[in-house]
Amino acid sequence: MASMYSMPSTTPGYSFPSTHPMTASGPRQHAGFYPYTDNGGSTLGISGKDFTIMAGDTRSTSGYNINTRYEPKLFKIGGDGPKNEGATIVLSVVGFAADGHALKERLDTVAKMYKYQHGKPISVAACAQRLSHILYDKRFFPFYVHAILGGLDENGVGALYSYDPVGSYEREQCRAAGAASSLIMPFLDNQVNFKNQYIPGSGEGHALQQRMPEPLPRHEVEEIVQDAFTSAVERHIEVGDGLQMFVITSNGIEEIYKDLKKD
Amino acid sequence: MFIARSEYGNTFSPEGRLFQVEYSLEAIKLGSTAIGVATSEGVILGVEKRVTSTLLETSSVEKIVEIDRHIGCAMSGLQADARSMIEHARVTCQNHAFHYNEPLRVESCTQAICDLALRFGEGAEGEESIMSRPFGVALLIAGFDEDGPSLYHAEPSGTFYRYDAKAIGSGSEGAQAELQNEFHKSLTLAEAEVLVLKTLKQVMEEKLDSKNVQLASVTRERGFRIYEDEEMAGVVGRLESN
Repeated sequence: MASMYSMPSTTPGYSFPSTHPMTASGPRQHAGFYPYTDNGGSTLGISGKDFTIMAGDTRSTSGYNINTRYEPKLFKIGGDGPKNEGATIVLSVVGFAADGHALKERLDTVAKMYKYQHGKPISVAACAQRLSHILYDKRFFPFYVHAILGGLDENGVGALYSYDPVGSYEREQCRAAGAASSLIMPFLDNQVNFKNQYIPGSGEGHALQQRMPEPLPRHEVEEIVQDAFTSAVERHIEVGDGLQMFVITSNGIEEIYKDLKKD
Repeated sequence: MFIARSEYGNTFSPEGRLFQVEYSLEAIKLGSTAIGVATSEGVILGVEKRVTSTLLETSSVEKIVEIDRHIGCAMSGLQADARSMIEHARVTCQNHAFHYNEPLRVESCTQAICDLALRFGEGAEGEESIMSRPFGVALLIAGFDEDGPSLYHAEPSGTFYRYDAKAIGSGSEGAQAELQNEFHKSLTLAEAEVLVLKTLKQVMEEKLDSKNVQLASVTRERGFRIYEDEEMAGVVGRLESN
């Protein structure tokens, strides 16, 4: 049972298994039905003083095949009409695309019902808690996704919540998820939270002072996101084709699309 | 005439009336008076406790109850009916906090209570009937949410309205007229306490003292709170010195 739903690999390299994850011991009972597929790709989110940027590549893979070069992993939650106009929350999902879509549909329905029932748009904090419950409700047949939720909090400050597949969540400044997360996350640690950056001449050895993180301006964050993805495309075969970015500000959500290498 | 009416109990009469619902509104007019006044600082709820016997322990008369930390309610009519409405409201509040990590809005809580009100009768296909008759109780729901303080009146008919000041129960006609004259937008919480007691005093049959009335408040800082005995005595003292 445990091997049936193995977690995505956390080591750099391919995130799909080279062989089918059937149990090694014991006779094979029936032709193995494996309910999950890893569709690769990567997402990330970074929150700032008055904005949050959500990003994801648009490639969808199955093993060595590319299903399509444009399958967005970012979804607006709780807006009006088929294009979710006026939405202020973005959900990114990476992992098994079908589960990602199902999860998006559920959360979007909840956000829309919330607006009808309470006469106000759902806040990111409330949406974050609800998403956690939606994921945990399927604790024993999980949505095979790593979700990130972005928006602005009640003070207009960028808010970002990241989740594991069964709903554990926390609010963070930045988070990378998916196939290339192990490549991107250390880069974000260093460039967003200034990890391993010290103030020159502030002391010797342990007396060296850590450079304190500060909220980054929007144009710098956009550059960091682009650098993160162009680098990930170089080193991970499941990442590429296109970069979709949603910039959430008090003026709404702005979409930016940039090409990535298609090799 | 009466026999003709009873034939149309839970269904529309030819004139388009629901007699059961109309009768339930009559049940409230038999109940003790309850008053709510909303100010910019918070909401005050006040009820008269009918002390029918000198042997009655007045603290066991519960006509103001907590729904959540930020919502309270006063009732008039059949006390027992209110219990299932309040239970439903409490569960709805807790569910909302569990799912959304935020307090339920006062209007949403009121709506949840009113959703129960018309569940009487035979019950639709596949749906179990819960009650054979409407509730015989009206509620004054006071709360404090992100939009500030608010006061709602919920009836057995399932309709609800928001009020600045509202009286329900046997003395409601006189009390509402008094509130109409005395209410203004710049009332302080302390002035509202006195206004509620003054109005109750006018419509009560017994002589008002700190034992046969009860006050509660909902404020941003302290949430819902029923006044302690000493506090009640203090407000009654202020009323008498006025």
